[in-house]
Amino acid sequence: MRPRRIARVARWEVSRSAGTVDRKTILVLVAMALLVGVVGVSVLGSGAGLEDGLYRVGVDADQSDGNPYVDVVESNPQFTLEETTYAEFAGGDSDADVFVDGSGRLGSDGTAKGDAAHTAFRDAIDRYNHDLMRVEVDEYAAYPVLVSIQYQQRSQTGASGSNSGSSAGAGSNAGDGSSGSTGGGSGSSDPSVSGDARTATGDGDGSGDSRLQIPDVGGGSLGESVDAGTPGAISPPFPFQSLVLAFLFVVPMNFVIQAYGSTIMDERIKRRGELLLVAPITSTEIVAGKTLPYLLGVLGIVAAITVAIEGGLLSVLAALPIALLFLAATFVGALLARSFKELTFVTVAISVFLTTYTFVPAIFTDVTPIALISPLTLIVMDLQGESATLGEYLFSTGAFYLGSLVLFVLGIGIYREEDLFTQKPIPAKVVDALASRIHGYRHVPLLSILFIPFVFAGQLLAVALLFALPAHLALPILFLVISVLEELAKSVHVYAGFARSRFEASLGTAVVVGTLAGAGFFVGEKFTHVVQFVGLPDLEIGLAAFGPALSTEPLVLAVLFFVPLVLHVVTAVISAIGASRGRTGYAIAFTVAVLVHTGYNLGVIGLVS
Amino acid sequence: MIEVQNLRKEYGGFVAVEGSSFSVDRGEVFGVIGPNGAGKTTTLKTLAGLIEPTAGTAVVADRPAGHPEMQRTLGFLPEESPLYEEMTAHSYLEFFADLYDVPGDVASERIAEALDRLDLEHRDRRIGNMSKGMKRKVAIARALVNDPEVLIFDEPASGLDPLTTNYIIDFTRELSDEGKTIIFSAHNLFHVESICDRVVIMNEGEIVARGTLEEIRDAHGGTEYHVYATVDVGGAVQENGHFRHVVDDMDAVDRIRATVEDDGGRVTDIQTHTPSLEDIFLDVAGEARA
Repeated sequence: MRPRRIARVARWEVSRSAGTVDRKTILVLVAMALLVGVVGVSVLGSGAGLEDGLYRVGVDADQSDGNPYVDVVESNPQFTLEETTYAEFAGGDSDADVFVDGSGRLGSDGTAKGDAAHTAFRDAIDRYNHDLMRVEVDEYAAYPVLVSIQYQQRSQTGASGSNSGSSAGAGSNAGDGSSGSTGGGSGSSDPSVSGDARTATGDGDGSGDSRLQIPDVGGGSLGESVDAGTPGAISPPFPFQSLVLAFLFVVPMNFVIQAYGSTIMDERIKRRGELLLVAPITSTEIVAGKTLPYLLGVLGIVAAITVAIEGGLLSVLAALPIALLFLAATFVGALLARSFKELTFVTVAISVFLTTYTFVPAIFTDVTPIALISPLTLIVMDLQGESATLGEYLFSTGAFYLGSLVLFVLGIGIYREEDLFTQKPIPAKVVDALASRIHGYRHVPLLSILFIPFVFAGQLLAVALLFALPAHLALPILFLVISVLEELAKSVHVYAGFARSRFEASLGTAVVVGTLAGAGFFVGEKFTHVVQFVGLPDLEIGLAAFGPALSTEPLVLAVLFFVPLVLHVVTAVISAIGASRGRTGYAIAFTVAVLVHTGYNLGVIGLVS
Repeated sequence: MIEVQNLRKEYGGFVAVEGSSFSVDRGEVFGVIGPNGAGKTTTLKTLAGLIEPTAGTAVVADRPAGHPEMQRTLGFLPEESPLYEEMTAHSYLEFFADLYDVPGDVASERIAEALDRLDLEHRDRRIGNMSKGMKRKVAIARALVNDPEVLIFDEPASGLDPLTTNYIIDFTRELSDEGKTIIFSAHNLFHVESICDRVVIMNEGEIVARGTLEEIRDAHGGTEYHVYATVDVGGAVQENGHFRHVVDDMDAVDRIRATVEDDGGRVTDIQTHTPSLEDIFLDVAGEARA
């Protein structure tokens, strides 16, 4: 590949494509970009916005100017300020969920929402104070005391008050460190005070009511939250904000592939690409040049989003393989589609599948290591301030990188006159693509190895989809899926080789190529040991997919290591013999190979268990 | 300059070209003719390196067809040459010149010269806004942008008006005079006859006739003499009240003349008929079908 040629084609692609975009389309694109930007900045600045104005905080109308808690309310969109009087609040004549006076006494209205508002407001005060301290120039003034905390078991009796519809639990916290507040420093955790908040706060003396003890604004002390649930406290942790932001990375890719698919299709349908094929430039250079602007475009958008939402380099590096796979899949899809109508179907299918494949696992970022099958998980981690190890990065992105490479390599194999400009059936083109990469026996094991990313991704997807099912149901299905994927990876290119007369259709040749395909796959399969990096085999279903450590004896280990080699060779030879007999022969032999493989897997698991 | 040996191209079970062999000398204009589906375009695309032959070899300018160095010496004009309609003629040609590594200043001169010779105006107009004839001229200019030694023109004047067609045929002749080796395919056999030094006639994937026009005429009947007489002395066809006798040499003409006079008739006219390429083509194609 010559970079100058690629750059020339890329420049041409940009200038040519620019000529095809009218002003209306540009306006729509700009509007979409703005929308994405606004959503990103909005989510970043104020969360997802789902909790905006969720709680109403009542403050005394007469004291609102001097009430330091008003700033807390106004700084957090979760709360809405309501000027009222304590009498109205206590009498139920106010819409406020909680009431706070200037001395820091806080009470809920006794409802579940009021309790949640109480907890949320305490947390908000903590954050507010923390932010104030953080920006304090004099660090020692902000944090004058170093406190060593020792947690002790204590009676939960006091917490019972919270069930009575009040925030008694909060009051109990007064004794564990949220003390020192001017509002109720003398408060106790006496459970007897729990009860109706309106009644309790009605004392108005500022002492003795633990429910009213909240941190002072500017006090910098951290109060504990009660257990009243807020949306942010859903368990297991659901990184909603990070997910929304991570999703922003995927959105532009869905649009870019539409343009990319169209430009490839344009070359084909209108036969315009024919003259490029006659020029002294290779298909690889043409494809690389045509793809580069779209890849750089996506990366540019990704980088802009990353800067806008204050992500890190990890986000960009994680988005790169996703973008590549989007483009690679679209490239192959555009080569196989026979019309723009089919291309639309293909790109929508790619959008749905890849978005789902990347997004769904990322939901479980904080739950299970399986989430790392998606690079989007790395973005979520990055946005949550977590880092990723090199192993995690490779595990998460390896299949995407290699899958993209294989798709591009196979696609370029049919980037030629005979396949670009003819209405061949799609299976015939797939066979052409595979056969285009077979120029001798040595390519057979190589292709088996190159298909490993797809097998890997397929198996991980199966694990991800099945891990929620009971093991007795999930395992047999998983074994079958594994067998089908692996046998396909070992045999489909062998079939293509026979179908396109790359090999002599004889029994001897079938045995040779079958052996090579099986051995190649065995080598590639060992790459799946990368899962060790993230501890996926700790999961039962993961064990089924990638194998347990059965023994520490070297001999046993050696046997266990090589038995799969025998299996892969035997089943690959079965499929190869069928492939040498034609399509029907291949279908029958493939089925036999899958059954043998599944039987082996079940046998091994039987022995292990 | 071009050497084709036992070329075979098979698509699935369909054989598009079978056992084609021919050679083209430097500076020659070589015609490839035949009915639709005869294998002409497949042959030309194989020479251009677009199609990989199933068997046989094709060598152009001493290099296998499809070799990058061979592609530098080639100018290919396909039967349909859809252009990038959103580009201007000038930017389109510049792009291809760059792909062929033509230096910028040389490319500019060459593009200007080609467009001048082709009498193409509105060079900065978008190709999509050009007429069909103008687009074809742009396509021809693109085939010349690398100053190729070999030109493959597949139906260069297909679908164009007579004026543009004649312009392109004349231009092809000029290129031939400049020493370019040209392979030329056309359905209009008059054009082939007027500019080609040698031709092959293809039918159903095979070459069924080859040689110079004279050689092909000789092989397929050569010159005929039509002797019109007032009486039929055997094998005549009646036309406008006269009997037309067709013979292929002057001795036979003399014999007919004598016989007619013996029968009391007279010879009213004698015409010399040289079969056109079209006559031969129809004859050959008809024979092949039979």
